Amino acid sequence: MPEPKYLAQLRGRLVDLGCPVFQVRRLVREVADHRDDLLRTAVVEGCSASEAEARADGQLGDPLELAERLTAVVRRSSWWGRHSFIGFGLLPVVVIPVLWVLLTGVGIWLEYAVGCGLNDDRLHAAAARPDGFRHICMAINGADYVAIVLVTLLFCWLTYRAAASFKWTVTACVVSALWALFTRVSIQPHNLWLGFWGTWPVHNIWTPQLIRCAVPLLILGVTYAFQRRTAQRFLESAAG
Amino acid sequence: MKKTNPVFLNGVPELLVLRLLSRREMYGYEIVEEIRAQTRETLTFGEGCIYPYLHYLEAEKQVSSRRREVEGRSRNYYKLTPRGRKRLDELASEWKRVTSGISLLMEEQHA
Repeated sequence: MPEPKYLAQLRGRLVDLGCPVFQVRRLVREVADHRDDLLRTAVVEGCSASEAEARADGQLGDPLELAERLTAVVRRSSWWGRHSFIGFGLLPVVVIPVLWVLLTGVGIWLEYAVGCGLNDDRLHAAAARPDGFRHICMAINGADYVAIVLVTLLFCWLTYRAAASFKWTVTACVVSALWALFTRVSIQPHNLWLGFWGTWPVHNIWTPQLIRCAVPLLILGVTYAFQRRTAQRFLESAAG
Repeated sequence: MKKTNPVFLNGVPELLVLRLLSRREMYGYEIVEEIRAQTRETLTFGEGCIYPYLHYLEAEKQVSSRRREVEGRSRNYYKLTPRGRKRLDELASEWKRVTSGISLLMEEQHA
């Protein structure tokens, strides 16, 4: 039996508004149950099947408007949905360096744990061995990239869970990208440095970190494609 | 033309839903029907409008829901939580305070 147009419209609008699939499933099922009750009542009262359908849809109200009201409730139900600007516009700036420090700390702790801890003496010693120093650089830069990737993914996931508009996903990714563009991590035999381009101590030259900057933008593109595909598949499976 | 509830009834749906759920577990359609019947159709909900209210109350942890099968039909049933009961008490006393104030004024005008 084909799905009623009312429910298809409701589901389509909820997906368009960015409601997570698990929420859409629940909301539509609930409205479908309600519609079923209205149909049964209308039939008992003597309506034909088509009259009952028209009456039930009329009683439920405009599906697009209902979808908007339901999405607004989903958004208001989480801190992230209520404070999108703080959550997705400002917090990434704070969380990236914090996560970076944590990851680097874990990395250093692990290095200690396996007996090759990172300290001044070891850095000096490592500097004397190009291979060893290169490994340390790779570990520090790896922590930097992992922090950027994790933070961007985290905020993409949070916007999705909060049913926040996709513009907030874009905002969080752009903030991460700008952070990545204007900051730089460097490790030298005598120091480990994280800072903004204007304070870059080595040669006092700023080179834009284009690859770092591209990472959040790439994640944004993948997130968009993934969400579109998930929504498409969900709508197709619901219709089929 | 369908009569709509007046603007000053903002906040009343929350009170009505909590009051009904304080008696027993109910599902959306049942709540709408109960409000219509018990207020003798003085107050009516747009059928779909009940769900934003219910989901809002659930997000506020004033009600909880579970899927339950009764007489071969599976539906989402809502029930009041302790937080919802507290909220109901607050809303009910506020409602009594406001209506008694309005009554005093109305009676004075008619006297």
